Amino acid sequence: MLLEACSLCYSVLYSSILAVLAGMVRLITHNLLACHAKGCTSNNFPLQFQDAAIELRDAEFNADFLRGFLPRIEWPALVGAARQLGDASLPAEQPEMLDDEFLQKLHHVLLEIHVEEGAMVCPNCKHVYPISNGIPNMLLAEHEIG
Amino acid sequence: MLTQYLFVFAQVHDEFRVPELLSISELYGFEIKFPENPEDKDTSRPFMILELESEEHARLLASRCILIKYVCEFYARGKSYDEIHERNRLRKPQWEKYIEDTSFKFLVTAFNHTIPQWRQKDVVESFSYMDFRGKIDMKNPDITLACFEEYPDKHGTTREKTEGDGEFDEVWFGRLIEVGLARPLVKKFDVKKRVYFGNTSMEAEMSLLMANQTLASPGKLVYDPFVGTGSIAYTTAHFGAFVFGSDIDGRQIRGKVKPPGIIRAAAQYGVANRIMDLCTFDVTQNPWRCGELFDAIVTDPPYGVRAGAKRLGRKNKRPPREGPLPVHVERPDDQPYVPPTKPYELSELARDLVLLARYMLKPRGRLVFFLPTVTEEYEELDVQAMLCEGMEIVANSLQNFGSWGRRLITIRKTTTKKFSPPTFDPAHAVTDNVDAHVPAHKDFREKYFQGFKKNDAIADSEARED
Repeated sequence: MLLEACSLCYSVLYSSILAVLAGMVRLITHNLLACHAKGCTSNNFPLQFQDAAIELRDAEFNADFLRGFLPRIEWPALVGAARQLGDASLPAEQPEMLDDEFLQKLHHVLLEIHVEEGAMVCPNCKHVYPISNGIPNMLLAEHEIG
Repeated sequence: MLTQYLFVFAQVHDEFRVPELLSISELYGFEIKFPENPEDKDTSRPFMILELESEEHARLLASRCILIKYVCEFYARGKSYDEIHERNRLRKPQWEKYIEDTSFKFLVTAFNHTIPQWRQKDVVESFSYMDFRGKIDMKNPDITLACFEEYPDKHGTTREKTEGDGEFDEVWFGRLIEVGLARPLVKKFDVKKRVYFGNTSMEAEMSLLMANQTLASPGKLVYDPFVGTGSIAYTTAHFGAFVFGSDIDGRQIRGKVKPPGIIRAAAQYGVANRIMDLCTFDVTQNPWRCGELFDAIVTDPPYGVRAGAKRLGRKNKRPPREGPLPVHVERPDDQPYVPPTKPYELSELARDLVLLARYMLKPRGRLVFFLPTVTEEYEELDVQAMLCEGMEIVANSLQNFGSWGRRLITIRKTTTKKFSPPTFDPAHAVTDNVDAHVPAHKDFREKYFQGFKKNDAIADSEARED
């Protein structure tokens, strides 16, 4: 009887741990992926989220990483994607001063917003890249490869 | 002023020892002076004396190098105890500060041998001239003095337990600074205790050595383009880096139950939030928007023994389809569409990987990957021929399995020049050029399944079959 109770507790605990685990698609990744179907070379970025189910999860803050990564970011695409997902904390123009308050906001948008389900759609060729369990499927079909 | 430190290494993967030391010293930005006498840097022996600027550097090496068992401040070595005591007396300036009031203990141990307890006691007593007056404390001593006897390898012979006791080649003595703190990670990352793994998972020790070659540390971004079941992602993330993984086969990433297998195993190691993202795509048809993103690319490419490398496309080209494109139809079993794939020959893959790394790495970034090869046919040119402008070999360490082996190749991007993304066009493959060097790892899969027979032997057997 006692044993049963324990194993029940354990399974409840374990499933609650697993509930906060999943794949992701963070906005940092979204900012780095473009449509790569054959012949789709312009207006193929940023991909548009469709039916996105999001989750927020804490990530480790590392100011050096953010400062180092900032030059790689397409700023308007990041701001647009965040707004599409309901986060309007970032300014439309990338600020010159990288103070702590700004870095915290950037950290949250880049690393803590996770798209679990839905799809990313190419604005140009309309290719649909499905997201399942937080893992985007970026494979191309046979007729799309170069 | 450089000080001598005695390093004791695990006697495994000896070709990986020096590259690992150099990687960790580069990571923390200090120099190591290696012995000049070739006999003193023989990696088939567990001992090596290295010169460092400070004890802090010795501690850093012990905290990260998987192959380090002990680090000591070096006092003496000798062919006999008479010799070691004579030399240790000359080193008195180094240890006299411990005479007055420092609690201590002795560690007396041997390699390839077990010293009987009674003689351990004799050894300790033979150091009594040092006249340490502090109390002996076996639990929490201020310092530990370590004495190591090195015996020849008696593996495979039958003998009495203590036979040959005292007949050591050399004896080493110093003050223990640190026990290898990274070595226990080999147990922590044991594949058998992992909640998610596959038949191609990399063993823990190798995954850790690979992570060290990438110079993984907090704030870095590392990419594995053949992430599979994530073996290398966990160890790289353990050292603080963010890891991005992709694979052509999403089933490897996910496993059979939710959440995805790699996320479950990463959570087991407490690094799930350092898995930046996982993606399904063929690296030869990749969606990366720009280059110079990663501090390191680390991977174990599939080379065809347990899992063959694949890329999108068809083995035999179909005639072009007539009429309109097929209409997208949801599959009834709710499984995602799986496009056709074709084999990806190893030497082509290796060459493409170097080009991809040059495009995707930041300047001074590293590419670390395994290259399987045929032991008898391997020549240095095989690896040199994979290089391109701006990419330079840092290390090349063999893990030998007999007739074949695999080499852990570490390449550094030395250029700040911009390059266009690689085309991954098989027509550009060097190996299709008849004048080009044909490396021993070309068609590795075929050679493996033919048991690495020589070409004429294969021709003979084929002729007989006819």
